[in-house]
Amino acid sequence: MMEAIKIGLEIHVAIPTKTKLFCSCNAYNEQEPNMSVCPICMGFPGSKPMLNAKALEIAKSVANALHSDIAKTISFERKVYFYPDLPKSFQITQLSNPISQGGFIELQSSKKIRIRRIQIEEDPAKILHEEDYSLIDFNRSGRPLLEIVTEPDIFNIDELKEFMNELKSILYYLGIDINTELKADVNVSNQGERVEVKNITGLKDMINAALFEIKRQEAARASGAIINKETRSYDGANMITVSMREKESDEEYGIIYEPDLGEYSIKNLPIIEPTYTNKIAKELAEKYSASEKLIIEQIMFDKNALQLINKFAGTYKINIVISAIEVLKRYNKTLDDEKFEALLIAISKNVLINSETINDIEQGKTIETSSEIDESLIDSAINSMLLENKQLLKDYVNNPKVFNFIIGQIAKKYNASPKYISTRLNILLPKFVAGK
Amino acid sequence: MNSIEEFYSLEKKSGYAESLFNDLSDINSRLNAFLNITRISGQNYPFSVKDNICVKNVETTANSKILKSYLPPFNATVVERMLSKNFDFIGKTNMDEFGFGTFGLNSERTPRNPFNEDYVAGGSSSGAAIATAVLKYHIAIAESTGGSISAPSAFCGVVGFTPTYGAVSRHGLIDYANSLDKIGLMSRSAKDIRYVFDIIKGPDNYDSTCIDIEKRKMQSDEGKGAKNTIFIINQINDLLDESVKSHFSGLVSKLENMGFAIKTIDFNLLDKAIPTYYIISMAEASTNLARYTGFKYGLKNNEFSKDYNSFFTESRSNFGTEAKRRIILGTFVRGASVKSKYYSKALKVRGLLIAKMKEILRQGFILSPTMPIMTPKIDDANSLTPVQNYGLDILTIPPNLSGFPHVSFPYDYDKGLPMGAQLISDHFEDYSLLDFVENWENSFKYQFKYNLGSI
Ligand SMILES: [Zn+2]
Repeated sequence: MMEAIKIGLEIHVAIPTKTKLFCSCNAYNEQEPNMSVCPICMGFPGSKPMLNAKALEIAKSVANALHSDIAKTISFERKVYFYPDLPKSFQITQLSNPISQGGFIELQSSKKIRIRRIQIEEDPAKILHEEDYSLIDFNRSGRPLLEIVTEPDIFNIDELKEFMNELKSILYYLGIDINTELKADVNVSNQGERVEVKNITGLKDMINAALFEIKRQEAARASGAIINKETRSYDGANMITVSMREKESDEEYGIIYEPDLGEYSIKNLPIIEPTYTNKIAKELAEKYSASEKLIIEQIMFDKNALQLINKFAGTYKINIVISAIEVLKRYNKTLDDEKFEALLIAISKNVLINSETINDIEQGKTIETSSEIDESLIDSAINSMLLENKQLLKDYVNNPKVFNFIIGQIAKKYNASPKYISTRLNILLPKFVAGK
Repeated sequence: MNSIEEFYSLEKKSGYAESLFNDLSDINSRLNAFLNITRISGQNYPFSVKDNICVKNVETTANSKILKSYLPPFNATVVERMLSKNFDFIGKTNMDEFGFGTFGLNSERTPRNPFNEDYVAGGSSSGAAIATAVLKYHIAIAESTGGSISAPSAFCGVVGFTPTYGAVSRHGLIDYANSLDKIGLMSRSAKDIRYVFDIIKGPDNYDSTCIDIEKRKMQSDEGKGAKNTIFIINQINDLLDESVKSHFSGLVSKLENMGFAIKTIDFNLLDKAIPTYYIISMAEASTNLARYTGFKYGLKNNEFSKDYNSFFTESRSNFGTEAKRRIILGTFVRGASVKSKYYSKALKVRGLLIAKMKEILRQGFILSPTMPIMTPKIDDANSLTPVQNYGLDILTIPPNLSGFPHVSFPYDYDKGLPMGAQLISDHFEDYSLLDFVENWENSFKYQFKYNLGSI
């Protein structure tokens, strides 16, 4: 059966290099407009582009991570159009010999979303539109961009979300923060011709644009209209897409080979090894019989968490390691291995972890563990609390949340581990309820 | 001794620089060699720079109105290297706008032949050749895309050397067609060229197509061509003026007497060279010229209230006629619907041409007259149609299109006007061309009408 909805993506992300793609200007100077510029990125006569090898290295690593066929030699093309943000009036991009072709990202369902091509290109300058004039900031001009083009293999919004999440995670582990600057064109066809939605910024708008387009095309079809090949633009403020042009008047870029760069062999460039967090989560979950979902939540966008799990799961129960990681996140702490281990021990021994204890661990103080707490003290505390306060018991029958209230009260009073209290309470409470 | 060593060995009278400046300004008002002249100290050997090569804070326009009063913020690598060896920059030389021309006539100030002012000086490096023909001690930094060094060198009776593509950094060269542009030299002797070529050649951090020719020569088996064999292509016979033909056969006999083995050979692709060259060069030129929008440098358009398209259109009306023609043709040949018929096909033919020429050059040099015609009068050249004009580049285009080094050298005089022949060698065999010309100079005396600055 033909799929009703087909979505293909063209995703642009900034490559995190220190310098720009073709010159040695700082690529990420956000301080002062037009301060990170030179004759090359301003397109001055006589200047020539010099390719940044680090950008190639990162692009090659992405291609490798997405199982894409890496080209032996790459070359560049000039895409010519006139716009004030384009200093040379052409953009140096890749067409015939991109970084790589083919590849895929595998979803949880083991469905593969195919990648068509991966290429690098230069970012134009930034235009700031004011009320009756516009300003241009060339700091961004020549920043390296990575373009990832997929096949139209995404069939619904859930797949779109999962694909983007997975891609984000892969890129995150290669050092690319997709959140800073994600631009995309989203191609949507809903049982008709392909409609390309351009100028989308950010993941949220990608989803909104796709959703809008699916519904718009459905409604159009329902009313008997024919969906033609078309380019539309996303209006983020109103969350709608607006027609730019019908495909018949396809844009003419007069693309030619970039003679100033020639051909580059990328065969010998080093690769940063990829990390597939969903695969790792699955393996860890099986190995330690833990929840895959719990693990993936921790490691998808957290290199540190993955490192800690790899280092300490096994020696400590994986749930303890995850609890410890959650503690770090909650209190926004980073601990060295020794102190992290102290935290693991504390949690294993049911020590109540609050801002005080975590500070003690951070400062290397020894933590009083629950083994030193008089266990009968906790039992009698529970007993007296329940005996003295009949209302609590009544409430518990109607509202089990009271359980947590009791734990909280006692934990506070005796500085004891909530887990331990909870174990005792589980034993003692039914007796009281039955006794009543 | 080369003329640079000779210059430094001579004692200069006081006021030498001043009188040189005055004489040069005077003659320049007639011949239009320079677009601007800089006063020099007189202590250092002077060099001129074609106006499409950037000299920091010196007006550099590629002789185009659209770059009027542009002061580059940096020196071209060649200029930087010359200055670091204490050469004195003497001025920017006249040229066809952006290098678009064979006779120098696409310039608001018509360059004139120093041997007879009614005749063309050749282009596009017109001023470089005139300056070399009038100044006793001087070397010209010129540039060739399709013959812009050879043609004016031949018409002005000087040695014009175009190195292997990539031998000299193009950083600071205002692009005409990047895959074809080469910076080269003009002088009154091959010895001077050798001396200066050693200074300016070699890799550069600002041009990734720039190579080390000696290293490349060692690494490859290229350039093993026999140094005493000269090929003459059969297909050029029908292209030459009768008068050129007879002078050229005189040269061939002389070379035979000097001990060279002269052989004839077929080169069937010769007639494909011109369309191939013009398609590629115009396609690249039209993209290079896209950046001139009256926005950031050169002639500025202040009509900021206009929409982008009108603003760009108005700014770009300041290109000259030939530049406009090449932008239109160049934009056409790379258009999506015809690209495979023109641009992509031209790239393929270029590959075939290179391979075929290389086959010949592995066995020896290729020699021809530099130009198929006798030096034309300015009026006659002005009345040529563009297609007739482009056709006259038939002999200089093949080595330029293929990146082979070549040199044009004076070999005869006719009614007081010099004639030039062009010798081509294999890639990286640049020095064997200079060896050849030095050898030629041992038995042939170049003539000059002016010797400004002689001591
Ligand atoms: Zn820059």
